Amino acid sequence: MTQHDNEHSKYSIAVSKVTKTVSTGEGKLQILQPISFNVQHGESIAIVGASGSGKSTLLGLLAGLDETSSGEIHIEESPLHTMNEEQRARLRGEKVGFIFQSFMLVQSLTALENVMLPAQIAGLDDPARKAKIILEQVGLSHRAYHFPNQLSGGEQQRVAIARAFIGEPSILFADEPTGNLDAANSTKVEDLLFTLNRDKGTTLVLVTHDDELALKCDRQLRMNAGVLQEITANAEEVA
Amino acid sequence: MVLDLAWRLFRHEARRGELTIILFAIILSVSAVLSLSLFSERLQAALVDRSAAFMAADSQLRSREGFNDDWEQAGITEGLSTARQASTRSMLFGEQAMSLVDLRAVSETYPLKGDIKVMDKPFGKISVTQDTPSDGNVWLDSRLFQLLDVSLGDTVFIGDKAFVVEKVLGEIPDAGFAFFGSDPIALMPLSDLEATKITGEGSRVNYKTYFAGESNLISSYFDWLKPQLDDEIHSWRSLEDDDSPIGESVATAEQYFLLASLLAIVLAAVSIAVAAQRYSRRHYDPVAIMKTLGASTSVIRKVYVLQVTFIMLLGIAVGLVVGFVTQHIVVLALANSVDVSLSVWHWRPVAIATFTGALCAFMFSIYPLLQLFSIPPLRVLRRDIDSNLSAKWLQFAAAGGAIFALMWAYSGELLISAIMFASGIALVASLIGVTYILIFVGRKLGQGSMGPWQLAWARIKRRSMDNSVQLISFSVTIMLLLVVLVMRNDMISQWQDQLPAGTPNYFMMNITEDEKQTLTQHFTDNHVDMGYLYPVVRGRFVSINGEQINTKVNDNDEDDSESEGRDGLGREANLTWDLELHNENKIVDGEWHKDWVNPNTDELTLYPVSVEKDLAQRLSLELGDELTFNIGSEIVHSRITSFREVNWQSMQPNFFFILHPQALKEFTPVYLTSFYLAAERREDLTTLLSPFPTVNLFDVESRINQLRAVVDQVSLAVEFILVLVLIAGSLVLVAQVQASMDERQQELAILRTLGAKGSLIRQSVIFEFVIIGVVAGLMAAIGNELTLLLLQTKVFQMQASLHLNYWLIASVSGAAVVGVLGAISCWRLLSLNTTTLLRKMI
Repeated sequence: MTQHDNEHSKYSIAVSKVTKTVSTGEGKLQILQPISFNVQHGESIAIVGASGSGKSTLLGLLAGLDETSSGEIHIEESPLHTMNEEQRARLRGEKVGFIFQSFMLVQSLTALENVMLPAQIAGLDDPARKAKIILEQVGLSHRAYHFPNQLSGGEQQRVAIARAFIGEPSILFADEPTGNLDAANSTKVEDLLFTLNRDKGTTLVLVTHDDELALKCDRQLRMNAGVLQEITANAEEVA
Repeated sequence: MVLDLAWRLFRHEARRGELTIILFAIILSVSAVLSLSLFSERLQAALVDRSAAFMAADSQLRSREGFNDDWEQAGITEGLSTARQASTRSMLFGEQAMSLVDLRAVSETYPLKGDIKVMDKPFGKISVTQDTPSDGNVWLDSRLFQLLDVSLGDTVFIGDKAFVVEKVLGEIPDAGFAFFGSDPIALMPLSDLEATKITGEGSRVNYKTYFAGESNLISSYFDWLKPQLDDEIHSWRSLEDDDSPIGESVATAEQYFLLASLLAIVLAAVSIAVAAQRYSRRHYDPVAIMKTLGASTSVIRKVYVLQVTFIMLLGIAVGLVVGFVTQHIVVLALANSVDVSLSVWHWRPVAIATFTGALCAFMFSIYPLLQLFSIPPLRVLRRDIDSNLSAKWLQFAAAGGAIFALMWAYSGELLISAIMFASGIALVASLIGVTYILIFVGRKLGQGSMGPWQLAWARIKRRSMDNSVQLISFSVTIMLLLVVLVMRNDMISQWQDQLPAGTPNYFMMNITEDEKQTLTQHFTDNHVDMGYLYPVVRGRFVSINGEQINTKVNDNDEDDSESEGRDGLGREANLTWDLELHNENKIVDGEWHKDWVNPNTDELTLYPVSVEKDLAQRLSLELGDELTFNIGSEIVHSRITSFREVNWQSMQPNFFFILHPQALKEFTPVYLTSFYLAAERREDLTTLLSPFPTVNLFDVESRINQLRAVVDQVSLAVEFILVLVLIAGSLVLVAQVQASMDERQQELAILRTLGAKGSLIRQSVIFEFVIIGVVAGLMAAIGNELTLLLLQTKVFQMQASLHLNYWLIASVSGAAVVGVLGAISCWRLLSLNTTTLLRKMI
């Protein structure tokens, strides 16, 4: 292991000079200026910012859903920036969980089957049993055989949370997890998310508009026109 | 794991109705192909039976040298039924007169197919009999009663043996269509033939052994028999050799069925393509989710290929049941009016339908599936990201390849397949062009305030690529329906034109020069229209370019029943002369001799002769060949100046040879004519003909009726095939509208949410579909013309014509049908409340 690698092993996520440029009809557009930051194991960070500031783009890069234009990202010591889509998929399957604003449940699978899905994909033993346990934890065992369109928004998001935790991921990415929910449901989902996160020692990266939610995280980073700033204590710019 | 996941997805989606459209498309394709091909096989089996009736068997072994007991026995052992007939031309002697007859000596089992019909009196009422003449009895054609002046119960002589005239022979199955110029038939028992002593050395007797049975038994028997046959002596005839008018009508109908089935396949393919695209789109999110959750492309691939396999298997299974039930209902409904063989159960249609379902499901899913596999996981964050696969050519290649392969594999006819395929390609190409023009025009129109028209145009404009795909599928569907409809109309009307009401049903031969005038007058007085009087001399065609006609040509001498062509040759031919070319004749090569001028040199005069083209082909004649005829003791030399195509099915007098009038001016002709007499005036025949005892009358009424019956039956069958294809096509249209409504759902939901009135949305959707329907209908009409032109001239050998009325019909009905279907789907959507609509979008 080189010193450089050792450096990365300290962090759950290590981001170094990452940029993202896209081609548009009028030429190239840099949507992320060079960004560098690290996230400790078990730490929770919130990325806040206005719509179009680039926070979802950053989330996509961190989660290996998209490719960087330049720079390096290490996830649990794995160099994401050198991997192809297949390798990144495998890494996601092993290390990463997701929660989305629009829940992203497979409409033609029941709540239970949605929760089982990552375990099935990863080839884990007895996915149904695991899924039932975790559905129990999110308080939805009585809804196990309902389809997503038979569940309320809050219930769907709790299913999504259960699905995110079934593979016991090291890192959880949440994209506006309460964006589509009313206040009561939001609170329920937030509580669940942070509780599970704490209990399982997961690193949490949360993208949100909601400053209140962001404040529940250990650190807050603000995205503004493709530039990322640390807004905790000393408000140091991390880019 | 993958299997479990695929199965769960399949099960839930099927239960929730998510797979309805694609399942429906596969069911439709399989059931349409199965019902059409099963129905057409059953119909063909029935028609083949009918054709068999014109041969009195499924196959005939003809011999010039007696029957072969061993061969017949081998046939019986094989499981075939057999019968025998010896036929020859012979003199039949009455007390007062004698006549040359077409003598048929038959065994008791004759005929194996079809019926012998008898009449209660000469030219009387006809009825079927199961008997054959018993020993010592003979059944005579109506004409012979007239010619020989005999009555039932009288004694006549054939060779050395006396026979009692027992019955009036109406018809026998294999009398052939060479009624004109043939001799009247006398039917006698085969067991009496030897006693007549007419079959001795030098006599020309044709021995037919008939075989009937399962076609595979017959072919295996023929395989065994073939090496033992001597081509000089034997010939084998089966239904495929049937070039009678019946055989030709059946052949045309079969091609039509083939065409209809091909079109059904294409329709099915189009619907599968539409459904597969829709299926793929609906799975973009699940694929993105699964990829996000760590599924590799190979896992995704396996899950979806398995899903498509499940869908396909279910679709094929249900399709087979639906198809079988559908055709069975049609068959039962038709049982009284159309002769359909119920006993046939061919595995071929089942295999074809299964193969079609499987091939279509996979080939048409390839591109949508590849698109699906290529969905990036990032779609979970950015919902606007679609597939990044842009290989439209692959879609066209897979779809086109599959359709063409199916067409070709199924029809075995490269030409029909190529024509249909090429017009399809041309249509698709021009449609893409039209879509863009339309969008360009629409851009100008679509500005201004937001009325329903503007909304409709705006949508068409925005969804140009989707709309072009939709337009293509609508146009192809409408075009295929048009092709089937117009082909059926043209074909049936051309069949009916062959035998219009008033088609001559009697022929008169042997009218002398002296009788010509009085006969014409007599008929006019009795209000019977007589046709043109053709002068005829009988002559023997003896040499080609000075070379005596060899035995090869004479092989056909006695081969005298089914084919007009062979009949006129070998023995004396009817020669006529004319300066005018009559309707049923068309010069196909050379020039008609109207303007020929006799050079009047000292050299031998070669008079122009026009020869029927099939005969010319058979005898390898060429323009300019010198033909010699022996008429009485005179020789007439002639040179071929033209070849004619003759419509033998027209029931008009036709001739192999038409000479220039000068060639035969020295000869005294007899005249030949035809007339029509309504069935209820049959009794008048005696009045009409009694003043002319030497005139021979030929009754072809029953032959015409046979022909009409077949044409009617085939026409009715064609109608039902048309209805089946129309139903299939309409279902495809419904599927297409349904699929495209889905794509509009989101937009409608937004408009609804923004407070757009239901009427505005509904009208805009209707207008949008009406615009697409009009254009699709119009394009279909153009495609239809092109396809028909090629099909009718290259495949069906029919007269091609423009069908301008269909341009209007297609556009109006296209607009109406597509508009109404759109309105219905839209109404269904608008009946949901906005929340449900929005929820459905997620």
